[in-house]
Amino acid sequence: MQPQGSAATRTESVAERDTAGRHPSGAASRKHADAAIHLRRLTKRFGTKTAVDDVTLTIDVGSVYGLIGPNGAGKTTTFSMMSGYLRPSEGSVDVLGRSPTDVDGLRSRIGVLPQDAILPATERVGDLLVHLARLQEIPSSKAIELARRALADVQGEDWWNQRCGSLSHGMAKRVALAQSFLGDPEVVLLDEPTAGLDPRVAWEMRQLIVAKKGRCTIVISSHNLQELEEVCDGAAVLDRGRVIASGTMAELTAANEEVHIRVGRGTRRGSQSGQLNLAQVRELPMVKAADFDEEELLLVVHFERKQADAETVIAHVLWLLLNNQVRISGVTKGRGLEQRVMDLT
Amino acid sequence: MSALSPALEIRLLVGREMRRCVRSAKGIALGLVTLLGAVVTSLLVTSIEGVDRSMAGGSTEQFMELKRQAIEHQTGNAALAAQAANMPVSLKAFLEVTVWLSPLLIALLGFDAVSGELQHRTVRFWTVRTRRSTYFVAKLLGLWGLVALVALAINAIAGGVALSKGYVTGGELLSWGLRFWLVAVVIAGAWAAIAIFISSCFRTPVVALLTTFATFFVLWVIGFLFANISRAQTMLQSQALDVRMRWYEYLYPNAYESMLLSDEPHRPLLGAAILLGFVACMAAAGSMLFARRDV
Repeated sequence: MQPQGSAATRTESVAERDTAGRHPSGAASRKHADAAIHLRRLTKRFGTKTAVDDVTLTIDVGSVYGLIGPNGAGKTTTFSMMSGYLRPSEGSVDVLGRSPTDVDGLRSRIGVLPQDAILPATERVGDLLVHLARLQEIPSSKAIELARRALADVQGEDWWNQRCGSLSHGMAKRVALAQSFLGDPEVVLLDEPTAGLDPRVAWEMRQLIVAKKGRCTIVISSHNLQELEEVCDGAAVLDRGRVIASGTMAELTAANEEVHIRVGRGTRRGSQSGQLNLAQVRELPMVKAADFDEEELLLVVHFERKQADAETVIAHVLWLLLNNQVRISGVTKGRGLEQRVMDLT
Repeated sequence: MSALSPALEIRLLVGREMRRCVRSAKGIALGLVTLLGAVVTSLLVTSIEGVDRSMAGGSTEQFMELKRQAIEHQTGNAALAAQAANMPVSLKAFLEVTVWLSPLLIALLGFDAVSGELQHRTVRFWTVRTRRSTYFVAKLLGLWGLVALVALAINAIAGGVALSKGYVTGGELLSWGLRFWLVAVVIAGAWAAIAIFISSCFRTPVVALLTTFATFFVLWVIGFLFANISRAQTMLQSQALDVRMRWYEYLYPNAYESMLLSDEPHRPLLGAAILLGFVACMAAAGSMLFARRDV
């Protein structure tokens, strides 16, 4: 993968690391003036087990960044060190240029949705949000207004007087999400924000995150790759405590390098009408290579991104296929994050 | 940079902590049992005092003299006996009840104050907004404050009953009642500091509960043994044991009660300074450990 910067994220791609996944010292020591979060050779050990191993990442201000990986990959541990819940065994974390345990420097500038933290059962939702807002230095008169607004953002206006212990899992999750966005912090860390939510509510929560995009830096740790692909500008894929790939979403999914076209059942390679003429596709000037898997009914077209963007390639290839009466059942830019993660882990 | 002072942070947290305790089923149950117990015991104590007074011939002076003689006989300390004889029996009895019950109340209210929030990771909603040290201190002050309120309620009930029976005057109730309450509160502070310290060391509340009870029991045993050894030595005028050993009694917070009630001006101050110093040390050590731990 080639390193590529983007307006929203500047992640350090696989190409920047050596084969052991370690950073060259120059890269590690460079300045991160516009970084919202910077992890430097971060390591966490629990006894003899190394949960996070020498992770270096930079997340730019204003980006939405995903932490991806299978169970036990070290996502939540990394997330917990960013949030100041866990202390690194080695390395360091900077959030807005400060240690995450520097509460005075980060109070009201950072919001966190911990994955499995239970809300205090005996407290009323409204009282809790107002109390948390007050701790963020929001005056009591404004705290009530902001707490109500945060609750409204998660469609929970009616829960103001309900005790947290009486909320369903989904409702509690949304209250927890509301507290993380309370007072519009500059950095919001979300650990599995839609886990356990029904599809409709999960969609609404994604819309809420998308609506916050650009107004704050958001880091999402999640198993839901489709969700991450939808909302994130960039991501890091972790496996066994190490970053095995990172970059912009386009880099990770190769969306700027290949397109996948799924064709109708029964389509075969050939030059006759209704057949897929691979030679014609390969002759397109921007196409570097093209392969057709007859079992999967999948045409993969690799292209030179300097010559054309994915949309142009799709238009040209589809034109050829449709002229040849080939039935199309789906088109995607790149491999899709899910496929990419499956390939990597 | 944040301008929220530690004092304001603690005030917000203590308020929340006291609301949390009062609203929990455990807090409500313990509060009701304590207050109900206070009413029943106050009626019992005042009726016993009534019987004692009638046996003493009904005269307050005779009753106080009998009391003085009994205490002097028991302790062998004439000064202490003279001082104790002046104390209203009902109120003093309730001081004893409060001082004895408060460790139990503190253990039951405080064991999960931090450990419960660590277990369910509820603490994570706070650690991004509050300094760990203020969180710890607020937990301690919240528990201490709650026990102080319960002690106040117990003393008010006892005082009310004694006042209605005519065993104390309004003035005595205010002066002695306030003094007894302050003594109970200062002693409760030490117990609360131990309980919160232990609670912050464990993620599992039941382990914190057992450790708290075990620690309290060990302290009680130490206090009981050395107090009785000390008392026996005084009565027998024996030098069998090293005189320094009697100071071990003061590892038990309740042992400071007589010091705090002393008529000699320096002794209550010394007792309060020792107990409050202990609370401050526990708060500092607990805050430091809590700030370093993973949550």
